[in-house]
Amino acid sequence: MTYSITLNVNGVEYPLEVDAHASLLNTVRDQVGLTGSKEGCDDSECGACMMLIDGRPVNSCSYLAVQANGSQVTTVEGLTNTDDLAPLQEAFLVEGGVQCGFCTPGMLISATALLESNPDPTSDEVRIGLSGNLCRCTGYDGIVKAVLKVAEARSGN
Amino acid sequence: MTIAPERKPFIRPDGKEKVTGLGRYTADLNLTGQAFARFKYADHPHARIVRIDTAAARALPGVFAVLTHADVPDVLYGGMVEDRRLFAKEKVRWEGDVVAAVAARTAEIAAEAVRLIEVEYEVLEPLPDFAANMEPGATLVHEAWEGYEADDSLDRNQNILGHSSIVKGDADGAMESAEVVVKSRFVSDASQGAPIEPRAILAQWQGDRVTIWSSTQVPFAARSGVAHTLQIPESHVRVIVPLLGGGFGSKCDFHFEAHVAALARATRRPVKLVFSRQEEFFAPDHRREGMIIELETGATRDGRLVSRRGRLILDKGAYCGEGGFFAQMAAMHACGPYKLDNVNVEAFLNYSTNQPSSSVRAPTAPQTCWALEQHMDEVAMAIGMDPVELRRRALIEEGAEGPAGQIFDRIGAKETLEAALEMIGYGQELPEDEAIGVACGWWPSFGSQSGAYVKLNGDGTGTIITGAMESGTGAVMGLPLLAAEVLGMKPEDFSILYQDTDAGPWDMGSSGSQTTFNNGRAVIEAAREVREKLLDLAAAELEANRDDLELVDGEVRVKGSPGTSVTIVDLAETGETIIGKGSGDVPEAPEVDASACVGRLGMESFLAPQLITHAARIKLDRATGVVRVLEFAAAHDSGVIINRMGADGQVYGGVMMGIGQALSEATWFDDDGRQRNPGLLDYKLQTVSDGPKIDIRWIEIDTPGAGPKGSKGVGEPPSVPTPGAIGNAIAKLIGGPVRRLPMTPERVWETMNGDGEV
Repeated sequence: MTYSITLNVNGVEYPLEVDAHASLLNTVRDQVGLTGSKEGCDDSECGACMMLIDGRPVNSCSYLAVQANGSQVTTVEGLTNTDDLAPLQEAFLVEGGVQCGFCTPGMLISATALLESNPDPTSDEVRIGLSGNLCRCTGYDGIVKAVLKVAEARSGN
Repeated sequence: MTIAPERKPFIRPDGKEKVTGLGRYTADLNLTGQAFARFKYADHPHARIVRIDTAAARALPGVFAVLTHADVPDVLYGGMVEDRRLFAKEKVRWEGDVVAAVAARTAEIAAEAVRLIEVEYEVLEPLPDFAANMEPGATLVHEAWEGYEADDSLDRNQNILGHSSIVKGDADGAMESAEVVVKSRFVSDASQGAPIEPRAILAQWQGDRVTIWSSTQVPFAARSGVAHTLQIPESHVRVIVPLLGGGFGSKCDFHFEAHVAALARATRRPVKLVFSRQEEFFAPDHRREGMIIELETGATRDGRLVSRRGRLILDKGAYCGEGGFFAQMAAMHACGPYKLDNVNVEAFLNYSTNQPSSSVRAPTAPQTCWALEQHMDEVAMAIGMDPVELRRRALIEEGAEGPAGQIFDRIGAKETLEAALEMIGYGQELPEDEAIGVACGWWPSFGSQSGAYVKLNGDGTGTIITGAMESGTGAVMGLPLLAAEVLGMKPEDFSILYQDTDAGPWDMGSSGSQTTFNNGRAVIEAAREVREKLLDLAAAELEANRDDLELVDGEVRVKGSPGTSVTIVDLAETGETIIGKGSGDVPEAPEVDASACVGRLGMESFLAPQLITHAARIKLDRATGVVRVLEFAAAHDSGVIINRMGADGQVYGGVMMGIGQALSEATWFDDDGRQRNPGLLDYKLQTVSDGPKIDIRWIEIDTPGAGPKGSKGVGEPPSVPTPGAIGNAIAKLIGGPVRRLPMTPERVWETMNGDGEV
């Protein structure tokens, strides 16, 4: 059985027909065609699929597309609408927070949500806030530095 | 001699597509009309196949093809031993053996078809005990082992796939007369590379040629494997690697490309395979090998190591794959970077019906180093010497003799030790539940053929066309730094065409920490050829002697007369073909007289070795056995560092992987050899909140035989001594080493409250 739903992904409305069991991740990747969000485990363990639903971070692999009907969904592709990178994206590159890049989309979404809820986090708060996202390459060092750097720059403003 | 080249921050050229989510990994690709593949795996770890019935699966609506061994050429493949088929034929030898493959309209239909495949087995006793498998009379994993094509140097015998020894002098005699003798036994579990990207493959035929997009670290090896197993010319196979989501060795070797190519040929459609996380754990013939490590050292009371004996048994699992060299590599790591007067270390690489082991980041080294370094601390304790002082006396240095007689040139072993001690504050007063452990290790550089082209574009930019592979380390991303320096251009002036076997020259791929070492050499040579052409063109243009010219800031100019110049843009936009190619001379490991050693595979001496000391400050909860790493110091001699951000990134990541291997990461097998924890909830990677502060220092020794600009490898060494350093810290707190790896809370607690033997 399929359902008619509407997803607003990164500011664009997509009317979709989805199976009852379709995950938000697969729907966005296969039907909307935005493949930035990754499937690393399909079990809410790695965080590579993280999206914002109405501003709240979720593992989209374990979230049904029908649950997101009518919601505002933000994926990594929606973090900037111009050719300029968002401050977190820029900081990830400058601080060495990106190697293979597979965890990066989910990590950026979690970091975005973290800074929304806690604009001036301590290093420990960043580490706790990102602990649902696994990275095998970077040892997390550059990622933590990048988030702290963006927070610092914002509070400086 | 130390060198401190000028360094600038370096932003990786593939960075923007990665942070915007617009970069494509293999699973992100789709082709119109594609079918989806699923595999039927063995139902038993060890069984004889009596009958395979695919009729019901083929009859399921939406199924396009079901393949078994009968549908592909009957050929064996493998690295140093050809012992495997694409599809199991007479026997299955491990739970991940592929019995059949399905392509269907959707992945769900393919999965349903897999369930409909009927296989009748004669179930055999599993053979998971890799040590017992070498006993006389043990059941053979491969009955036909003698007839396999294999490297003659392996010293094979029945279930022993490889046997190597490192022998020097008279270890037995020296042991008898040693003032102090210490014996230790350690057991290490298997662990996994566990990249965050599960592997994916997409294949499409055009006439007799197939293009395969694959998440492989070694596209040229994948191409060879497809050509060999499907019996088609290599030139008919093109392997393209989109962005690769990490590998850590586990995506080395030819794996499933031929299965998917065969399905695509049978269905006359593109076929796509994407692994689940569970498959990524159990199905690749790739994991870090479990080991039993017995070490014995004879020493004088003033810290001279007069004899080392060792016996190592490694779990090869069901098939050779690319890991045939592990016995000799492990034997070298059981010697370590130490001056040893007499040596006799034997290593056995044994078949079992477990998942095959193959390269994972510094194969055999972390667990062997973990055992050796804890053993070294036991030796120090036995002679009443601080373990750091023992290492000061025993570590190799320029002029020292290696385990099989190699005489070392300039290397920074002792410098890494002192740097790590200084960073961690060795000797400081610590709370009673904290301790500092120190471990040293080493890893060789690998010389290999490699090639590159450099061409100039009409707008004065350059393109590097390379066979090298970027797994995320940044090694390929760093190649423009080398070309730019030769040509007086900026690194950002270069684009890179890579990971396409039809474009770049042959390369061994992203393995062995050797991309910069070998492909860097090729890029420099190719850029030099371009430089010669630019000098010729500029000499004619400027009517100057080419010997008087230099390339600086994007132009060719007369030395001492900067006004007399022509820009590279002006020279390139004429349409002149300006292209250079390079491969360079492959450096070789030093010759040694290792005639007393058996199973010689070329690692009895180490080319331009990389030296490492790690120091860990840990905290132990005595009630639970939980260990937390509070602070970590990593000092590395990797030669001259070309890209500091990239090199640091390898250490941060490698140390975290090493902490995982030390404390939490293990593949647990049940009694039959099936994985009990093929998922990220039960196979525990370190998270960001587990991470300690990590300090890094590079000891930039100019080692003879090193690669471009004096560089050595960087990628694998950071995970080598990490478990050993943590182990030595734990041992200080509980009075002796935890003899099983990983050192989980249960094992730490049991060691505290038991005799600690294994």
